[in-house]
Amino acid sequence: MNSADLFFIFCDDQQFRRAKAIKNILIGRRTVSNLYWALEYNLLDYVDSLHGINFDDIDHTLHRLQQQKLLLLDDQMRVKLTTSGMMKRQQILSKLLPLKYLKIASQYDVSRFLQRFVFATQIVSEYSYSNRKYYPQSISFFEDQLIKKWFIQNKGQQLPELFHQLLTDFLNWVNRDDLATILVESLSGHHFSGKTEEQISNQQQVSPLVIQICWRQLYSCLLLEIFKKKVNEPLTALTTNLRRPIISNSSRQTYDLFIHHPEESTAIIASKRRIKITTVYEHLIEAAIFLPISQFPFQRLINPQIMDKLEFNQPALLGEWSYRDAVNKIPQLQFFEFRLYQILRRKQVNGKST
Amino acid sequence: MVNLLDELYKYFGFRQFRPGQEQVIQNLIARHHTLAVLPTGGGKTLLYQLYGAISHQRVVIVSPLISLMQDQVSRLQYLGSKHVVALTSTLDFKQRWAILTHLQDYQFIYVSPEMLSNPKVIAYFRQLSVGLFVIDEAHCISEWGPDFRPDYLRLGQIREQLNRPLTLMMTATATQQIQKDILSKLGFASQDVQKVVLPVDRPNIFLSAKMCENQKSKNQLLQSLVSKLNGAGIIYFSSKSQAEQTALTLNRQTGKRVMAYHGGMDSQPRFRIQQQFMNDEIDVICATSAFGMGIDKDNIRFVIHYHLPSSIQNYVQEIGRCGRDQQPSLAILLYEPNDHYLQTHLIENNFPEEGLLQYLYQHPDKLTGNDAFKVIKYYYDQHYSFEKIQKTFRLIQQHRLTELNEMLAYVEATGCRRASILSHFNEQISPTLNPKYCCDHHYDFWRSWETFNDQYLKKTPITNLKSRSNWRTILDRLFLLKN
Ligand SMILES: [Zn+2]
Repeated sequence: MNSADLFFIFCDDQQFRRAKAIKNILIGRRTVSNLYWALEYNLLDYVDSLHGINFDDIDHTLHRLQQQKLLLLDDQMRVKLTTSGMMKRQQILSKLLPLKYLKIASQYDVSRFLQRFVFATQIVSEYSYSNRKYYPQSISFFEDQLIKKWFIQNKGQQLPELFHQLLTDFLNWVNRDDLATILVESLSGHHFSGKTEEQISNQQQVSPLVIQICWRQLYSCLLLEIFKKKVNEPLTALTTNLRRPIISNSSRQTYDLFIHHPEESTAIIASKRRIKITTVYEHLIEAAIFLPISQFPFQRLINPQIMDKLEFNQPALLGEWSYRDAVNKIPQLQFFEFRLYQILRRKQVNGKST
Repeated sequence: MVNLLDELYKYFGFRQFRPGQEQVIQNLIARHHTLAVLPTGGGKTLLYQLYGAISHQRVVIVSPLISLMQDQVSRLQYLGSKHVVALTSTLDFKQRWAILTHLQDYQFIYVSPEMLSNPKVIAYFRQLSVGLFVIDEAHCISEWGPDFRPDYLRLGQIREQLNRPLTLMMTATATQQIQKDILSKLGFASQDVQKVVLPVDRPNIFLSAKMCENQKSKNQLLQSLVSKLNGAGIIYFSSKSQAEQTALTLNRQTGKRVMAYHGGMDSQPRFRIQQQFMNDEIDVICATSAFGMGIDKDNIRFVIHYHLPSSIQNYVQEIGRCGRDQQPSLAILLYEPNDHYLQTHLIENNFPEEGLLQYLYQHPDKLTGNDAFKVIKYYYDQHYSFEKIQKTFRLIQQHRLTELNEMLAYVEATGCRRASILSHFNEQISPTLNPKYCCDHHYDFWRSWETFNDQYLKKTPITNLKSRSNWRTILDRLFLLKN
């Protein structure tokens, strides 16, 4: 998928931002470095929200946008929008729901929910016409089992009425005909074929990526709508097992060990967890990035003298301070200490600005 | 004695068998191993599905294309079978385990040959009673065919391990050489197997081919054909990117609704396009030759080949997608001089260069886990010497080039095209054939194709034109409410 609109949505005219990191943050490549940039750019809430999307070669796209003078691109493939780029940004944002709704897709597997809901709609729609002869959509084995079981258990519950009502109420709440159309065109049912994102994007004159983001936002809100219902509602079964951990499970385990055993060194934790010591640091950095400052013992990992030296030497643009420059000034500095310090300071700055 | 027509109606609601179906099912009921060569392709699943329904036995189907297996599961479900599952390498460990430990719950089990080669997997299958063992696309077992899959060669042994169940081998087209090859590789003597071989000839498909001067004139011709030809159509390409690009152009130029459709697509858009094509909301599909379709659409009126097919066999199979409703239909092959080079190039690229082969023979560990080296690994494991594998590849390559040249001869033919195709399968033209409705040899098709179109090709009846602009009306249509 073409990535151009990604940079309009997630860059601005204030700060040069690393294009590749932005893409990786959104599709959920949780490396320490990507997560650090997510913190730096205030995008932690969007990690993995565009899970599963395959983007084309971004270099090519960026050079084209640079030629069109929509953005500035430096030699490290960092991006800053121009004035016309900012106008384009406004235009794209106006097609979406407020961007914050995309954050839900970082906490829940919304694309999986979308697949479930679309499949369930097909079954309920054919059922409402008493048609049993149709090609069901193919989704993964467990999902398929889940939906079929759900349908068998609930088909006495006036599902067609329930779906009709749910979608009508929901789209009335959305209160925008363009977005309502984008949602219903994703559905399939009796003598009604859904459209692909390409087809809808042609029809709505926006990029396929914008359609994808609209779908994720809309299905995110629909998911929350279903969460609000009573637990024994037939629809709630469609929302099981969608929650995603903010910190990956393996990092969480390392962090828990670290917190519950203040006396143990990282080397002991590494041997207990049977992982490399560098992996322990990566896990702890991930925890430090996502948790509030108060929940992470920075002092335990950064030697106080080093901390003083870091404070003394830190440049104004903290994010652009490289480890190589830092270690030139502080020879005994470890990489993870440097990274943790950057995280701590960035969080303190972010905390003041919000 | 069961009345098969009654059973057909009872399970599927059809009043009539398609050619060959009844004979195959009768063979199976009489417990004869059967080789079915049914060129129309359509209705192959019904063979084992109906047998399974009548006999209440378990059916295991070996199928080579993982991407199509899920479609086949859908198709079986469409026709009313609920206990269907596909066991492929795309499942993760948990899913695989869940299926394997509940195999006895399924009546129809699709499985890839790779999976069955796994000793743990076969152990589960050995605990089941298998009433019918189906080998789909059986021609994949032949080294001489373009779809050769080394994993298929293990199927003879796997059949032994399953205690030699009743076996149905199916393929759409197979020359006599390949038919023989299938039986011998699976360990059957020719007298052990009943053959049901339908004629390749499809009298309702008119055959034509056009030599264009260059790509530009080919594109222009394609554009005017697609603009005017009635009904639904498929255009075949040998590359995904060309299929996508042409779909975009034709969509703009022709006023027809044209979409690309190929194996590289995600399952959801693929499903949507299939469904739209099925519901006559798309007129023309631009597809890659290697990729079949998960649905049976009966009213496809024309198949156009934009690139040269790799063999007469493949060509026959691909044009067989049109006219399944027995109504007049049209096959067009467009050719320009560069197409020959393109295909030759594709064939040459399909074989490893000597240097690579030598390297792999010196570093056999590199052969494992790489799909591209599957065939090489097979020969290596069979202890072929470097000289022997080289010679084998050269022979196969030569064979492919010969097939390509036969295809080219078809394009350049000055005589009857139907006679040219049928001669490959040792068939004669039916004496009842109407010579005015055969091919562009007897009828000046290229000067009067628009008349042909008006006279023979039925338009798709216009249905479903209800407005879909308003989301409320769409919701009302999706869910039929009682009050
Ligand atoms: Zn003829």
